[in-house]
Amino acid sequence: MKRLLSTTALAAALAFGGAFAASAEDVISMPNLSYRTGPFAATGIPLMNGQRDYALMLNARDGGVGGAKLGYEECETGYNTEKGVECYEKTKANAVVTQPWSTGITLQVLPKTNVDKRAIFAPGYGFSPMGDGKTFQWAFNPPSSYWDGAQMILKNISGGNLDSLKGKKIALLHLDHPYGKEPIPLLEALGAKHGFSFLAIPVGLKEMQNQSAQWLQIRRENPDFVLMWGWGAMNSGAINEAVKTKFPMDRFIGIWWSGHDGDMATAGAEAKGYRTISWNQPVPDAKVMADIKKHVIDAKLSDTPVDQMNWVFYQRGIVIQMMLNEGVKAAQAQFKTKAVNAEQLRWGLENIKVDDAKLAELGMTGMVVPFATSCADHTGHGGAWMLQWDGAKFVKVSDLIKPDRDAIKPLEAAKAKEYADANQPWPVNADCKL
Amino acid sequence: MLYRIAGQYKTSYEADHALFPVRQDAWLLGVILALAFIVLPLTASDFVFQALLIPVLVYSLAALGLNILTGYAGQLSLGTGAFMGVGAYACFKLVTIFPELNLLAAILLSGLFSAAIGVAFGLPSLRIKGFYLAIATLAAQFFLVWLFEKWAWLYNYASSGAIQVPNVRMFGVYVAGPQAASIVQYYFVLGVVVVLTAAAINLTRGRIGRTWKAVRDMDIAAELVGIDLMRAKLSAFAVSSYVIGVAGALFVFLWRGAAEPNLFDIPLSFRVLFIAIIGGLGSVLGNFLGAILIVAMPVLLNVVPQALGLPIGSSTVEHLNVMAIGTLIVAFLILEPLGLARLWALIREKLILWPFPH
Repeated sequence: MKRLLSTTALAAALAFGGAFAASAEDVISMPNLSYRTGPFAATGIPLMNGQRDYALMLNARDGGVGGAKLGYEECETGYNTEKGVECYEKTKANAVVTQPWSTGITLQVLPKTNVDKRAIFAPGYGFSPMGDGKTFQWAFNPPSSYWDGAQMILKNISGGNLDSLKGKKIALLHLDHPYGKEPIPLLEALGAKHGFSFLAIPVGLKEMQNQSAQWLQIRRENPDFVLMWGWGAMNSGAINEAVKTKFPMDRFIGIWWSGHDGDMATAGAEAKGYRTISWNQPVPDAKVMADIKKHVIDAKLSDTPVDQMNWVFYQRGIVIQMMLNEGVKAAQAQFKTKAVNAEQLRWGLENIKVDDAKLAELGMTGMVVPFATSCADHTGHGGAWMLQWDGAKFVKVSDLIKPDRDAIKPLEAAKAKEYADANQPWPVNADCKL
Repeated sequence: MLYRIAGQYKTSYEADHALFPVRQDAWLLGVILALAFIVLPLTASDFVFQALLIPVLVYSLAALGLNILTGYAGQLSLGTGAFMGVGAYACFKLVTIFPELNLLAAILLSGLFSAAIGVAFGLPSLRIKGFYLAIATLAAQFFLVWLFEKWAWLYNYASSGAIQVPNVRMFGVYVAGPQAASIVQYYFVLGVVVVLTAAAINLTRGRIGRTWKAVRDMDIAAELVGIDLMRAKLSAFAVSSYVIGVAGALFVFLWRGAAEPNLFDIPLSFRVLFIAIIGGLGSVLGNFLGAILIVAMPVLLNVVPQALGLPIGSSTVEHLNVMAIGTLIVAFLILEPLGLARLWALIREKLILWPFPH
């Protein structure tokens, strides 16, 4: 039995490898460790749809990017780390990039990148110190990190001067998971510096849909602001509890993953006033949206519902694929080749430049904050906007907010060093002089 | 013909009680071991190592640990995942506190921690039985996972709350951490699994194993013939948790590379329990067969549509996979309620008579 199975395994693996090798020369293989199943599927599906539809549109309209087709392919993980590792191993042979999606998978894959020489592309998530490009040569999290996000929210609610938060109480309602714990070190440090008291309120994975205990604590403590680092079912759970306990929505602000139109639907008009910081915003009349409608949706290449095309998350998927493509384009120009390899794409991702002119050229004006990466800065720190739920959709209510990098940098450098020390031998990029 | 036992005479009690009363069994095992030690490592790719071979071995070991407790000693446990966690966290602390410590020693030592915790949570088994004991072990499951989350010392105060395996070398070769090669990790896991399996086979065939079986089949009768119930039950908890703890340490150090507390939550316990039940309770072979079915089969089914070139989306494959595995489990349980090990035993009996049944 064992032998039979093992031979089948080998045969299957070989056949699988063969299928990959057979693909044409100028296809850039970009596997996406998607999660259209499992408890986080509701948030995963619009993001994946956006990414896929944009790649399909470019393949149909322009024949790909710079003459190379985009080999967008999904490997389903269901947000499960075990499946994530399986997918990573399965796709890594030809892939030029890894898109891990879950923080658990990112944590597992991050240490392997130096060995496997494959870039991790984790836009707006992952480990905040990953932005330190000298230490994390293969990891990219443009255009803003979680610590940027936390700092920008504080900046916005304090009216630009964090000292005005002195004596105030700020609570962080977060998923009790590596992702939710991400902003805690920064908020603690800023709290000590600016004199506000900070309170972390964890929500366990099992209690995502029933947060009565947490909201009881919020009512008792009565914080001036509640920040939220939620994901999946936790977001709608929190919004509904906030509505039920009549917590003032204008004092409730989420990170960009807590600003999903689908999550807000059940609370609807009652959640009016809830804000989320976001580095992208939906622009329904952007040229790229019309092109996707024409080349992908109307051509029946995708089953994305038309009414979801203006969701923040669907358009974020588009923006994510665009950032990856910009890395590809930069690498193509630099190395004069169509099908870039992993090493070349790494260089490309270090040289992304997204400004207003570029966005206009792509037909994406206003869809994402402008940013630029470098060998020392893998995040770009482009900033974000504040979006507010008007009862039916998210609308932009602030100008571009930029993080105060001076407040974050020392902590980032310390944590990056800590990580490198714990994972010796950890080669750093000594060639980068920035 | 293949399994002809005619002519294999037993002339002493030792021969009659030998591990392999039939010569062909020993040959078959020899072939499987040669396959595992020589053929597979020569042919496997990174994907086969990481997605099939190593996880099957690790899960088999965990199921073996559970089987000692549930299959041999008859004490139902739902806390396997948490005990694996104890092994993993103990190993993490040992490796970070004593970086000079040999990883093999650290892994074998970490089993002792989970054995101690297993005995502590096994104490209620002296008073309660069956489903009530399962609830007591469920308490261990919830408590320990909660502890992994809240006790920051366990994960060295990492801000993510997860443990990350450092690069560990043994005799100049990386065996754990991102720098380690898959083949080295495979041999390490295979070595530990083979040694512990051999130990478990001998243990369950010997005096202690017989007392466990006596307790399982009827504890009052066992007590009346002079078996110390407390010693039998607690030793079962200790040995079982030891093996599970070692499996947990291998799980994180030689395979996953990182772990967050909720990894050790109840789904893991159920997964290992399913492997033990489908493989066959009260058997050693069953754990391996069960692990192949539960762990490796989904991975294989996943690559089938792509290998055949069928244009099915990855998420659809996942849905189909869940359905297929569920159907397979139900089918196997109807076909042979006593598990895959019993299925093999039946096949073997038929083979002995083949091709001339009476």
